[in-house]
Amino acid sequence: MTAKRSKVLAEAARSFNGAAGTAPATRKLSYAQAIAQGLHQAMELSQDVILLGQLVDYTPAVFGTTTGLIERFGPDRVLDFPVAESVMTAAGMGAALTGMRPVLIHHRLDFMLYSMDNVVNWLSLWRFKSNDESRVPVTIRAIVGKGWGQGPQHSKSLHAWFAHLPGLRVAVPATAFDAKGLLLESIFGEDPTIIIEHRSLFTLQDDVPEAPYRVRFGKAVVRRRGGDLTLAAIGFMVPLALKVAARLAERSVEVEVIDLRTVTPLDTATVVQSVSRTGRLAVADPAWRSVGVAAEVIASVSEQCGRQLKADPVRICYPDSHTPMSSALENVYYPDEEALAAKLLSLVR
Amino acid sequence: MGRLSHQSILAAGRYKSLSLSGISPEVVKSLHRFMLRLRRCEEALAQEYHPADEMRCPVHFCIGQEAVPAALSVLLARDDYLFSHHRSHGYYLAKEAPMTAMFAELYGKATGANGGRAGSQDISYASVNFHSGAILAGATAIAVGAALSIKSRGESRVAVAGFGESATDEGIFWEAVSYAAFRKLPVVFVCENNNYSVFSPQLKRQAGDNISERVATFGMKSMPLFGNDVVLVYNALKSAIEDARAGRGPCLVEAYTYRWSGHYGPASDDLVGYRSEDEVKAWKENCPIGLLDEAMIAGGLLSEAGRAALLKEIDAEIAEAFRFAKSSPFPKAGDWEAMNYASSSPVADALLADIDMEAFDAHQAMVQAKGY
Repeated sequence: MTAKRSKVLAEAARSFNGAAGTAPATRKLSYAQAIAQGLHQAMELSQDVILLGQLVDYTPAVFGTTTGLIERFGPDRVLDFPVAESVMTAAGMGAALTGMRPVLIHHRLDFMLYSMDNVVNWLSLWRFKSNDESRVPVTIRAIVGKGWGQGPQHSKSLHAWFAHLPGLRVAVPATAFDAKGLLLESIFGEDPTIIIEHRSLFTLQDDVPEAPYRVRFGKAVVRRRGGDLTLAAIGFMVPLALKVAARLAERSVEVEVIDLRTVTPLDTATVVQSVSRTGRLAVADPAWRSVGVAAEVIASVSEQCGRQLKADPVRICYPDSHTPMSSALENVYYPDEEALAAKLLSLVR
Repeated sequence: MGRLSHQSILAAGRYKSLSLSGISPEVVKSLHRFMLRLRRCEEALAQEYHPADEMRCPVHFCIGQEAVPAALSVLLARDDYLFSHHRSHGYYLAKEAPMTAMFAELYGKATGANGGRAGSQDISYASVNFHSGAILAGATAIAVGAALSIKSRGESRVAVAGFGESATDEGIFWEAVSYAAFRKLPVVFVCENNNYSVFSPQLKRQAGDNISERVATFGMKSMPLFGNDVVLVYNALKSAIEDARAGRGPCLVEAYTYRWSGHYGPASDDLVGYRSEDEVKAWKENCPIGLLDEAMIAGGLLSEAGRAALLKEIDAEIAEAFRFAKSSPFPKAGDWEAMNYASSSPVADALLADIDMEAFDAHQAMVQAKGY
């Protein structure tokens, strides 16, 4: 049954590759639904895929991202795990070592921090220290809250931390299409991967192909063309960037919006290419301002085409402060359309 | 002698209870040969470590702690998993990984078990499912994951985690025990209780020296025993491993033992004053190899000539391992990225469509999701 089903799915995948020019069959799915579909297909495609996380088998289904999996695959493959993130991560890694492809889920990235010993001291360096003899393809989904008083323990987007470590791949998908494609690419890849999911994106809809497909790591995408300035954005900053770009276009400022998609590997080439045309760079990074991915992007661009910059590059980030609960403070803490627009206009004036 | 502890063992003095009854002579000879080989190996490495200074990595010698690895060497099959702490050499050899590659790894050579990337405290040999790591308790939980996979696939393999009593200072050890007991996983925990976290004794760090009792409250079988009696260790691990294979759940074997050398390196660190000369002497009198030698000679399983022949054979193997390690080339610095990431993804290539859609309905950006 499963072998047959997986053959059908793999066939569907291959037919995509062969059908150049024809549009793939797609459905409108939300970001959360696209993740659920990706997980469903991954578990159909391979018995090795198992799911570990708290409450993954209850109807809220981790904000609708694991819907239907327990009914289809049962409790041996969809494991409601105790509130013990460190052993959960180590167990996922041990299972991966034996050939499994586990997906770990954290409702809040903040809880994942219990597992830092495994992530930093074991998972990230396992391939390296085994001299390539051993691999641990673990996929970790870490969800980040924003707004409605999530406060300092439910809202940290630590993609820069993980990006700093060799041996991990780190994705921050901004669209439903990418959420599914990067998830499948992570599960069936060979390296441990952390996918940071911004929960404020979960209701965003997109055209999502029915078949299992991949989105490659290290390949940024230009979401909107423009010749006046380059805006590289990450995660939930991408829809914000597109909104602001549309507004600025009405004032004849054409913003090129690049969705970085993954921060390890980081596709600086696409940004450099754009900046060499526009001469202006802004980076919208949903994280603290200092020592983050925004700084890394600006440094890389400066190294490669710094002399082509016509204006000082800018960062649009959070203040170097923990997240407040009160909406009055939240509204100031998170960059909004006005703040982003003002920063971008400062570049072209 | 009441409840077993480091104090009770010292109070009892010279151990006289090692018995060869009920164990096959072949197994006894294997245990003996393994312990002797490990001891000679460690002594030879210690000899070469300083002042030559060609092995430029931290080495935690396991002289005095040969019994647990010896028992595992007889009991584990190639496809079983073994995870070890930083005092790794005995466990490495227990999985029958080659001595030559171990020596070359210590010398940082390209022919080392890990091409010189890992060294003594992080050495692994993936093809025999042997792995180690220096961060105390982390590997106990990884073993639980291997066991989870073994159970879900309905295999009869087993995962074994070896660690010291200091690992039980760490929280993740208890998470690992709790989950393994709850899921009845095929994992065996082997605690080599040598009493010291570097210099600090267990009762200076924990409220009680009763790890086995505490583990039992999680619903897991536990067996504390005198860990320098290799026959006791073998019998306990045999039953634990058989239980795990048969799906009867996990077990802890707590083997009270002692390291002769300092925490790291071949030199004594007794000058620090954390343990007495008398204590070291008492444990040396209860040497795991000496105790077995005595019983084997008494039982007619070993002669002086036989022992000498065995040592000659072992020493030749050790000499060859040194020759191999010293004459091997150093690794060349290459592509750092390729050393840390996979260069291909064959499974994704086979299963996933390679499409890309740059288009994103920008109108969606207007549907700003609400917070959370």
